[in-house]
Amino acid sequence: MLTHIGKAEGPEILICCGSGGVGKTTLSAAIGLYGALSGLKTLVLTIDPARRLADSLGLKDFNAEAQQVPLDQLPDIGGCTLGSLHAMMLDAKRTFDQLIECYASGVLRKKIFENRYYQYLSNHMAGSHEYMAMEKLFEVYSQSRYDLIVLDTPPTRRALDFLDAPQRLLNLLGHSFFWKLFKPYFKAGRWSVRLLHLIASPILRVVGKIIGLQALTDLTSFLQLWDDMLFEGFNQRASAVKKLLSGHPTLFLAVATPQRQPLNEAMFLYEKLCENRMPFGGFIINRVHGTQLQPSFAGHYKKSEFHYFDTKISRDLMTKMHQSYLYHERMARSDARSIAEFRNKAGEGIDVVEILSAEEEVSDLRDLYQISRQLMRFSGSG
Amino acid sequence: MGKGGVGKTTVSVLLGMEASRRKKKTLLVELGDSDAIGKIFASGSLPEEPSLLSECLWGARINPKAELEAYTRAHINSNLVANRIIESRLFDYLFAATPGLKEVMSLGRIWRWEQAVDKASLPLFDLIIVDSPATGHGLSLLRLPGHLVQMIRVGPLVSQINELQNLLQNPQKTSLALVTLPQELPVNETIELYDTAESLLKISVRIVFINQVWPALYTSDDIKSVNHLSDSLRSDSSNPSWTALLDAARRHIDKRAHQDKYIAQIASAIPSKIVGVPFSFTNDLILDDINRMTFEVIPSSSSP
Repeated sequence: MLTHIGKAEGPEILICCGSGGVGKTTLSAAIGLYGALSGLKTLVLTIDPARRLADSLGLKDFNAEAQQVPLDQLPDIGGCTLGSLHAMMLDAKRTFDQLIECYASGVLRKKIFENRYYQYLSNHMAGSHEYMAMEKLFEVYSQSRYDLIVLDTPPTRRALDFLDAPQRLLNLLGHSFFWKLFKPYFKAGRWSVRLLHLIASPILRVVGKIIGLQALTDLTSFLQLWDDMLFEGFNQRASAVKKLLSGHPTLFLAVATPQRQPLNEAMFLYEKLCENRMPFGGFIINRVHGTQLQPSFAGHYKKSEFHYFDTKISRDLMTKMHQSYLYHERMARSDARSIAEFRNKAGEGIDVVEILSAEEEVSDLRDLYQISRQLMRFSGSG
Repeated sequence: MGKGGVGKTTVSVLLGMEASRRKKKTLLVELGDSDAIGKIFASGSLPEEPSLLSECLWGARINPKAELEAYTRAHINSNLVANRIIESRLFDYLFAATPGLKEVMSLGRIWRWEQAVDKASLPLFDLIIVDSPATGHGLSLLRLPGHLVQMIRVGPLVSQINELQNLLQNPQKTSLALVTLPQELPVNETIELYDTAESLLKISVRIVFINQVWPALYTSDDIKSVNHLSDSLRSDSSNPSWTALLDAARRHIDKRAHQDKYIAQIASAIPSKIVGVPFSFTNDLILDDINRMTFEVIPSSSSP
């Protein structure tokens, strides 16, 4: 999966997808570090890292500019040629605003920013965060300032929402059919007159009755601002983004944990990517519990007292320790079962990388380095 | 409510089972295209009409678009016109583009179930449990009635929205159960969610579930012994059996100590009842596991 990183034909964009709570942000950072350790100038575009992870990445404030992560506190990195690691936080609203600034000037821009529907669209509308993540990725890639960009995608319930969202959102703004319907009412006149027309139209009157007149006028006044030039700009840009995502510089990675639902989501994503002929890099299964050594006296704790060197251990404590061991074994077996089943489903030739569950939450560069090493080990053998 | 992956569905089912055991007529509700509850009951995705899952326990899935269709039919006198609208592209368009329409339609459905009575005029359900979407989306579900009233101002929706608002803000009728994990991000998000719910949305938070809590197996004396043993072991690394046993114990103790930090953080920030849900040490949670779970009540440390 990551073997080609740093080589001439290697990927320049890695996109980490997966359902919420699987550790995408942490893994994105670890993959970014892996890139830096492969000698690349690497950027991690991240969404909402945990405070301590953000701190260790140097993202102290919600500044949307890229910041370099100091790597000097890393442990001995062995013969790696060190590139550099940079991190940037995504801000959907701001990215949307910048896009508007790029395609609309002066009065129009001001009107759009003030429009209530735009405020909703740019910040809260389902899909706007995904759309803007793609947009930012495209912008940064176009500036070709980095050798490798790792994108951490917004948390969606379904992993593949991320792929559909931009197009869905753009379809809403692709107003050719909408215009046909509304143009007669908006062509001329002041607002009050238009409103009158609106109410006079039977179909719109009915629609207004359903969703409310205010909502309808907010929406239509926004669409009116959204003129052909602006729409053309957005549309062209979206096709360029799509082309970039389907092209050879990009690799999608599906992140999951060994639980049923995240694994299913990852598999869905893989199928969807295949369907759309988009480049897939492999699966990363995070937080896997490995099997441990088995205590040989397991099962016969009948003695009332145990001795280990100078310490007396009660049977009670022995039983508890054994219970802890059993818990861990149960978890490890369950993980192994889920993953075996998953590998089977994924089929031959598809990379499935397992990342062992860390004792504590991953929060600093050292922890990230440990994950990078696991990625390295796997990509070395694959 | 809670962040993605914290176990909202598990807790919803847990609550549902518990309530139905107490002979409360309970409805478990799933939103949108989710089928997680259906999977736990091994019945595929739930139907849109409540169906019996076990004694006193029903399940249903809300399809907001079907709700909007029903709503449109109810408010447009002519069937012909209603059909024409529903079948038009405009309808799809408005459904996707209008802020909050999905949410209001979903809440409207819940509201009607809340109001529903049987032939003897007794309420159809004593308790409705909604397995809400992940925090961001879940919040918009609750926040939208307020937003929408401002945007719409007039029309039949407004009176419906006002009723929804009343239902949501009546602590006798509605309360939130927050679900979280004893980890940094979920805990921070839960505290934020609590503040938003109580101060901004005025919806009461009755209880917080902390999921996947490792059992508190070891007493402080046990922990001392294990520490001491670990020290001895360092000079005797050749003994794999003791290494295995002590590793497992160490890991367990560290894990719980780590979780305790976050549990304490919640207890000091949120005055609601706080309950630990034990970690089940498996990926394939089945109904039996959920049935066997015992809660751990976390003593509150916050001042009233």
